[in-house]
Amino acid sequence: MIEAGKTSATATAARLPAARVGIGGPVGSGKTALVERLIPALAARGVDLAVITNDLVTAEDAERIRRSGLIDPARVSAVEAGACPHTVIREDPTLNIEAADELERRFPGVELILLESGGDNLASTFSRDLTDFWMFVIDVGGGGDIPRKRGPGVVRCDLLVINKTDLAPHVGVDLELMHAQALAVRDGRPVLLTNCRSGEGIDAVVAMLESQVLFRA
Amino acid sequence: MIDVPTALALLQYGDSAYPAGGFAFSWGIEGLIADGLLDGRQDLDDFVWEQLSSRWNSMDRPLMARAYRAGDITALAAVDRTIEGATPSRPMREGSRRAGRALLGVSARNGGALSLSYRAVLADDTCGGHLPVAQAVVYRDAGLELPSAELVSGWTMVNGLVSAAVRLGSVGHLEAQRCLETARSGLAELLAEPVAADAEPWSFTPLIDIAVSRVRCRATRLFTT
Ligand SMILES: Nc1nc2c(ncn2[C@@H]2O[C@H](COP(=O)(O)OP(=O)(O)OP(=O)(O)O)[C@@H](O)[C@H]2O)c(=O)[nH]1
Ligand SMILES: [Mg+2]
Repeated sequence: MIEAGKTSATATAARLPAARVGIGGPVGSGKTALVERLIPALAARGVDLAVITNDLVTAEDAERIRRSGLIDPARVSAVEAGACPHTVIREDPTLNIEAADELERRFPGVELILLESGGDNLASTFSRDLTDFWMFVIDVGGGGDIPRKRGPGVVRCDLLVINKTDLAPHVGVDLELMHAQALAVRDGRPVLLTNCRSGEGIDAVVAMLESQVLFRA
Repeated sequence: MIDVPTALALLQYGDSAYPAGGFAFSWGIEGLIADGLLDGRQDLDDFVWEQLSSRWNSMDRPLMARAYRAGDITALAAVDRTIEGATPSRPMREGSRRAGRALLGVSARNGGALSLSYRAVLADDTCGGHLPVAQAVVYRDAGLELPSAELVSGWTMVNGLVSAAVRLGSVGHLEAQRCLETARSGLAELLAEPVAADAEPWSFTPLIDIAVSRVRCRATRLFTT
């Protein structure tokens, strides 16, 4: 019978694993738009990046990011979710973990892996075994009362992003009130406002990733 | 008879909630449904039996047994290479590797000794890590005897197929339980007949192979295979 031997030299070679950052949120809230804004902003700060998408039905998001010209297409992996968008990030994130390990193996210097969840509902959360930090993206167009509904995604994420701030006047949302209520249901934990169309607010998200995830000053 | 500790281990490893990514594989069901070739309980019963009798029992099971009996890592890798060479369809090969590596990853992260050492070998080997080999390694780490390992292997396949069919809307949740009952008696029949140690692996599931191979042509899909 086989005895467990020593692991091979390559597998144990000293190498810092990449930080894994989850991006969850309802369908169409702007998760991919945020990824498309974060890629150039992080690259400009010299962060070595890779991306995983969990497209629900098509490989559309993965393809969109690959074709964006923002990142080497080989650094974008797609993981199918078998119609279970929150299983693949919470109860059984193994396929995402394997995809992240594989990216680290192929790109040994990678520092940060962004992992976009398939569009889901307010109850979706990331497993701590999968991500070091996760954000939840909601948008103004979904309604100003979303934070008040206290979905686990909104309450438990490390960073809540309220996107599409530009739409507030058009959908009758009081942005200040929405922001204040979000902070209240989260006991003051971080909430940032973004407009992924113009890029407004992205710097603050990047600054938070730098300090909380990459531990850069 | 299976003793209680073994029965409980079987429930854990055979549970569809065991986190090895099985929910993302339909092994041809999604494609057949999309092409109008699988609809309803009778079709699903037939499909599951074809997978069990003409692939699992004649190919996956003897190869898993071979890997289970492997004396060293080199012998394990040889089984992996046999599977790689005997699986002409690329999506099928890739699916088998992804499912196998995911299973191995869970066991290795939980400290399975053999899983850890085989996984380390696979870091430099892009052809290995097929599901039957991974199952042999992981179930040995779990302390399962070969007959128990075969039982979990057959059952997780059946369970995964039927659950994929439910999510694709081909059968309802109650019909699914009746499909599982039918599959259970088929699986029991197959398991009653041990596989010879020198059995040559074969499979013949042409329609399923074509359905899996066409997965890349589809613009919309929920499953890896
Ligand atoms: N006005 C406005 N539109 C936005 C903003 N961010 C994203 N959008 C638009 O909202 C739509 C959905 O954006 P996506 O980035 O695809 O949303 P998603 O969350 O990735 O969607 P799924 O992955 O399908 O769940 C697109 O049409 C975007 O152009 C924003 O800040 N303002
Ligand atoms: Mg998206």
